[in-house]
Amino acid sequence: MKRNKKYWILCAILVIVIMVLGYTPLMIPGGIYKPMIMGIPYSLWTSFLLTVALVVLTYIGSKVHPGSDEEEEEL
Amino acid sequence: MKVWIYIFFGIFFMLLAFASWKSYRRKRSAEEFMLAGKSIGPILGFLTFSAALFSAFTFMGMPDFFRNHGIGAWTFLAFSDGIMVFFILWFGYLLRKKSKEHNFQGVAGLMVSSYGTRWAGVAMFASAFIFLIPYVAIQIRGISIFLEAAFPGMLPSWVWALIMVVMMLVYAEIGGLKAIVYSDAIQGLILLMVIWLIGGTCIAAFGNVPDLFKAVEEVNAELLSTPGPHGLFSWQFLLGSMIAVVMIPVTQPQLTTRLVVVKDLASMKKMAYAVGIFAILVITPTIFIGMYGAVKYPGVPASEFLSQALLFDQAAPVAALAIVGLFAACLSTTNAQIFALGNELRSLLRGEEKRAMRITRISLFFFAGVVMVFSTLMSDELALLARVSFTGTAMMAPIVLMAVIRKNRPPREVILISFLAFITYLLSLAGFVPDHVGTLRLDLALYLYLVIAVLASVLIRKFFRKKEIAN
Repeated sequence: MKRNKKYWILCAILVIVIMVLGYTPLMIPGGIYKPMIMGIPYSLWTSFLLTVALVVLTYIGSKVHPGSDEEEEEL
Repeated sequence: MKVWIYIFFGIFFMLLAFASWKSYRRKRSAEEFMLAGKSIGPILGFLTFSAALFSAFTFMGMPDFFRNHGIGAWTFLAFSDGIMVFFILWFGYLLRKKSKEHNFQGVAGLMVSSYGTRWAGVAMFASAFIFLIPYVAIQIRGISIFLEAAFPGMLPSWVWALIMVVMMLVYAEIGGLKAIVYSDAIQGLILLMVIWLIGGTCIAAFGNVPDLFKAVEEVNAELLSTPGPHGLFSWQFLLGSMIAVVMIPVTQPQLTTRLVVVKDLASMKKMAYAVGIFAILVITPTIFIGMYGAVKYPGVPASEFLSQALLFDQAAPVAALAIVGLFAACLSTTNAQIFALGNELRSLLRGEEKRAMRITRISLFFFAGVVMVFSTLMSDELALLARVSFTGTAMMAPIVLMAVIRKNRPPREVILISFLAFITYLLSLAGFVPDHVGTLRLDLALYLYLVIAVLASVLIRKFFRKKEIAN
């Protein structure tokens, strides 16, 4: 459980880092759409990859989240 | 095309009838009717949550948003949804714990018992009513205009809207939330299928994805970067939208309720990442439809672009499926939202259960009537109106968050703090309050105020409690 909590906190920190990154000029530079990957504009492919990373972190988070059904049943 | 429409509508109505029959119980309790017995599994759970979240607004609003404002629309919705699904893991767990302690009947009712005052529930209900009604109305208007375009001269748009509202009421009355959950699942799957079929056609019109973006570059290169040709997608707008979207499961009762009615925590966790996958799958094709529209239909009104791109430029079976898909999306979303309002009202009512249910059922008709009237007064800006709805209800988020986070009774001044932000936002929409504080957008300024004021309230209480103990 303790180890799970550590991983859960790590996931939460990574989500916050991605979230902050998503609103910096690094990800959404004004008026710039190059370099393109497979013809897809820069901000679109970067934010797409970040979104996929968020969903992967949610998947990992769902496995390491310290809350459990037993805990819910107790209430 | 008409033959295909009749075939697909026939299949859709048969599925709805089957769902109603499966959900109907003659002697069911109020909890079975309003909360589906809190026994929804992970697959139905994620489909109903996704369908309530991605509705006609995604199908019609997002392509138009991409067409007019460019690729920043991805960050506006999909990236924000990615953050929201992770947030669900944390918030959903705490919400479910609190719901069991207080025997959840609705968000408003949960707030009443958490804060020990009816004002908390009334404030939540008022915010949901004020911001959900226009949101539901715009969806009904959107689809009725679309149906008018598909069947020119057959019926005026208000009659289409009336048919939909009546169908929605009959369906909800027969099957309750369980039937709505089934219709959400049907709608979610139709939506996903049809949006990819249309997205695929839009790509095929240019050969492939790189050529589609190349064509957009030639027409209007500003669409390929932020803030877009009209400067809408500034970092402030996107950040404000993200906060509003992340707060959707907290403050939009149709979604909060869905986190509670899932049968166990493991199912809710599965639901969270499944919604994230669904979000990526359903928003991606709207990029292609929007970019297609940017090249083929720049500058035309939204209704003209949508009827061309979703109907007349498609093969007959795809266009027919689009009509049925949109109808289904609108039906299940409006159903979910109006039913949620009814449930919120019921959770505020005291006294005998039979009487409370009677009032709730009458209120569903009342809400549907209000939605009908509003649907004749709305504009075409579906995505922006959705954002206004999300932002408006997000102002009340501290009330729910404090109730869910705190083990003891949360400080009551949080109700007043949130309500002040809510009223200020409402006044800004009416033009009585400026929409910027200096260079900061008003919504961001209000979020900042909420964080500072709630933190100050907690710290001041802590300080006085310590002083009291010391004395």
